[in-house]
Amino acid sequence: MTAAARYAGARVQRVEDARLLTGHGSFVDDVVRPGMLHAHFVRSPLARGRITGIDVSAALALDGVHAVFTAEDLNPGVREPWYSLVGPKVPDTPRPALAEGEVRFVGDPVALVVAVDRYVAEDAAALVVVDYEPLEPVVDYKTATGSEELVHAAYPGNVAGTMSGRPAEQLAEVFASAAHVVEETIHQQAYQAVPMETRGLIAEYSAHDGGMTIWASTQVPHEVRLFCSRALGLSEHRVRVIMRDTGGGFGQKALPQREDLCVMLAALKVPAAVKWIEDRQENLSSAGQGRHEHGTARLAFDADGTILAAALDHVQDAGAYPVPWPVMTAVVVGMLFPGPYRVPAATFTCTSVFSNTNGRTAYRGPWQYETLAREVLLDVAARGMGIDAVELRRRNLLRHDELPVTNPNGMPYSDISPLETFEHALEILDHESFRREQAAARAAGRYIGVGTSSYVEPTTSGRGFHGTEGATIRIEPSGVVNVYVSGGSSGNSLETTAVQLTADALGVDIGQVNTIQGDTAVTPFGGGTGGSRSGSMIAGAVAETAAGLRERLLAIAAHRLEAAVEDLELADGRAQVRGTPGAGLSLAEIADIAYFDTRKLPPGVPPGLEASGRYQAQSPTIWANATHVCTCEVDVVTGAVTILRYIVSEDCGPMINPNVVEGQIAGGTVQGIGGALLENSVYDEDGNPITSTFVDYLLPTSTEVPVIEYGHVETPGPGPGGYKGVGEGGAIGAPPAVVNAVADALAPFGVTITRLPMTPASIVALLQEAEANQGVRV
Amino acid sequence: MKPAAFDYHRPDSLEEAVTLLAELGDDAKVIAGGQSLMPMLAMRLAAVDHLVDLRRVGELQGVVDRGDALWIGAGTTQAAIQRSADIDAAVPLLTRSTPLIGHFQIRNRGTLGGSVAHADAAGEYPAVALTLDAEIEASSVRGRRAIPAGDFFSGWWTTALEPDEVLTGVAFPRWHGRSGFAIEEFARRHGDYAIAGATVAVELDDDDRVRRCSIGLFGLAPQVERAAAAEAALVGTVAGDVRADEVGETAVSGLDSVPSDLHGPAEYRTRVGAAMVARAWEKALQEARNG
Repeated sequence: MTAAARYAGARVQRVEDARLLTGHGSFVDDVVRPGMLHAHFVRSPLARGRITGIDVSAALALDGVHAVFTAEDLNPGVREPWYSLVGPKVPDTPRPALAEGEVRFVGDPVALVVAVDRYVAEDAAALVVVDYEPLEPVVDYKTATGSEELVHAAYPGNVAGTMSGRPAEQLAEVFASAAHVVEETIHQQAYQAVPMETRGLIAEYSAHDGGMTIWASTQVPHEVRLFCSRALGLSEHRVRVIMRDTGGGFGQKALPQREDLCVMLAALKVPAAVKWIEDRQENLSSAGQGRHEHGTARLAFDADGTILAAALDHVQDAGAYPVPWPVMTAVVVGMLFPGPYRVPAATFTCTSVFSNTNGRTAYRGPWQYETLAREVLLDVAARGMGIDAVELRRRNLLRHDELPVTNPNGMPYSDISPLETFEHALEILDHESFRREQAAARAAGRYIGVGTSSYVEPTTSGRGFHGTEGATIRIEPSGVVNVYVSGGSSGNSLETTAVQLTADALGVDIGQVNTIQGDTAVTPFGGGTGGSRSGSMIAGAVAETAAGLRERLLAIAAHRLEAAVEDLELADGRAQVRGTPGAGLSLAEIADIAYFDTRKLPPGVPPGLEASGRYQAQSPTIWANATHVCTCEVDVVTGAVTILRYIVSEDCGPMINPNVVEGQIAGGTVQGIGGALLENSVYDEDGNPITSTFVDYLLPTSTEVPVIEYGHVETPGPGPGGYKGVGEGGAIGAPPAVVNAVADALAPFGVTITRLPMTPASIVALLQEAEANQGVRV
Repeated sequence: MKPAAFDYHRPDSLEEAVTLLAELGDDAKVIAGGQSLMPMLAMRLAAVDHLVDLRRVGELQGVVDRGDALWIGAGTTQAAIQRSADIDAAVPLLTRSTPLIGHFQIRNRGTLGGSVAHADAAGEYPAVALTLDAEIEASSVRGRRAIPAGDFFSGWWTTALEPDEVLTGVAFPRWHGRSGFAIEEFARRHGDYAIAGATVAVELDDDDRVRRCSIGLFGLAPQVERAAAAEAALVGTVAGDVRADEVGETAVSGLDSVPSDLHGPAEYRTRVGAAMVARAWEKALQEARNG
């Protein structure tokens, strides 16, 4: 790059905003096809049962019903339903299209009705008679391993898989001889991605050319295409996937799920497009849950509070039909448990257990339990040792100048700034002055507290499906620029990012650049949104592609201007002689030569101004880190928690657009605050979901969330531009920061918090328990 | 999440509305703002053959000063109540309770009559009506009647309204003299149904003795309740002689069917209820003293 970056690093207004903020976004439900039909699922009302009969005759007889499909109709059409991220060789957990023989959770799809509209489809669904023989459900994953009942017959003890690190015995001596050992079992409830736009798709099969067109609400249009191609046995070039705006994904839309597969299969059997739009009850009970897990965490310290060893035994709920693949993602929990600290020795086990509930799906930082367990435990340890939790972390956090360093579980950290973000966040807070304020408040009978949370996070995987990303850039005859990337933006501003980077790479005004994303027919193959990869990978793809185009632009201009290429620069939409802006050609003038006056091209330069390139990630992962700081007040009568300040100091390397970075941090942080205080996917003892509407499933809203304050530490990573991923961190860092703030506020009562969410009633119960145990008057 | 089919009626007058209800009987349900009924229909938790939309019934609109009471039409939206200076002057407790109902989008459609007739146990308007001894007016082809709020709420989402009756308006008595009013509620999030809440109206004489006192409780029983024992204990005492937390404890002491749910057991709700009474009592008293 010769020209100075004009847009990268600037708070450029999002190019998506105009349409999204004025209600002109185009989501799947906005798409209407000729003669389009509407699908609705008949779902299991039982957590577990044998299907002994299905009678669809009354439903089929209803006016306006086109078809009612059961497993018998759809499931034989499934060929190879594997995912590109996993590949065909890794053993996957069961995942039928429609339930076959047995239903395994309330919401399990049993039949699919296709009708002229959704109203009729729902009327017909009520007429489908399914006979069940109820079976004893395995509702609680915590007792599932000891249950004689099996969610899947092929998995004894309901264990989907276990992975572990160094044997625990090897650390027994360290723990036995340590000056301080702290151990807690920490529980995290099930909570969910809850995208504002629920899942949905339209599948339209054309018998005239054997082609399938799918309009999808997805994070990964190219994976929807590949999945459909393999699962239905259609050639890739017969499948086209179009996504425009996707209203949130957070991992839930990272892979096509069972319902998507059913609608694709159904589309082959009906004469028109089929639309399925998931409703909120379906989304909350069937689209997949995250987080549900617990672990016994231990830390050993010497007399000065230096960490000697870390151990974690972690168990997570996989639900009935997890998306692949919970065993692999669980191991990351164990491997990252030492976090951004100097930890000499560590051990872990991670176990995934099936239950007759909503399946586990990826959710923004799927491994975040490691941060929750470690950061909560550090605060418990600090209180036990009589050291301020801030001071304890200062003694143990990694400094930038100690890097690279490999953690005891083999995670090779580099280019991070744990202690630096920690100090930065505390400086924004003014920690000393908060402690004074806290003492004064306590004297006045008010309970305020501060909590911190630091983490290190792997972003931008360099492997497999995620390891490369393509871009095509076309400079049109008028000189305007189109950049094509695979996309998958689910609110994360990938259009703005692509436009900013391309404008800089070609030295043109941002208004001259347009981006086309999400349509597999015209965009290069790519891995979509997931694993905090988009910023770095799009930067790589645009840089790779633009480099060749720049050479051509400069060569054409040099030839025309009779100047040396080395003397030219691309700036202000022109190729011009450095220092003599008057002498140059506009992109339009160069394009005119390249497309219409090709005799003026220099020898060896091809006609046209279109190029494609593919970037290969340069490292297996790019590490990012942050520190969250939360302060809160607790009403010890009602148990209400009011967050006072929320500060995040994040190191995602140089920022392409601080507005986008802060938007990502804010969104994730709010989800984490929701997890700490409000959100909870609850089942009753029979396995019925009892939080399947927004009356009961409590999302944080603007009235529950403070203004988030941001600090930025910019340590360049090993990828293009030094950019790192930033999509998931907020959701990782927030829950323990909130827990620690509440625990700090309640420190005078000797309360230890090990269970999420911290509902007002649960806080009051903890206070009452403390009162009973210690005679503390609440 | 689409309702089953129903017939939709939109009468232009009260006479037309009550005639329809008389004809259709139990197969019909009235709808005003639809903020509770529509979700139930959409989730198919409720089904109706006929929906009678009251929004064009002129007799349900308006605010009328009746001297000792302010009559407010059942069709008045919560947003309109919030904006009305006349209502704030005559029935400040109603105005103060309004921002606690849902969110502004809900209040733009939700109505006074709808809230009162729906009779949610945690409903702010039912609590205010009960606290202020309001009269709830209803019409049918059989005639008109005024039902004291104390006789109106009779259990989970249950009222004294007959299926053929339309709730037409609520008359809120004015309180005079050195009066103070307050509502306090605790909800998980702003706009959620309260875990527990309390309304307090108090009037002091010139010697700061409690002349009149009304305490309403919501979220603490199958229907909104009055804390009669606590009220009786307060009348005649010198304000400030009784500790607020004692007022709270007394107010919740007689409750015997406090609900338990996802948000906490009955014991927790009761504790929160006592705190809400205490906080509302202090606020109302403060206002009365300054009056």
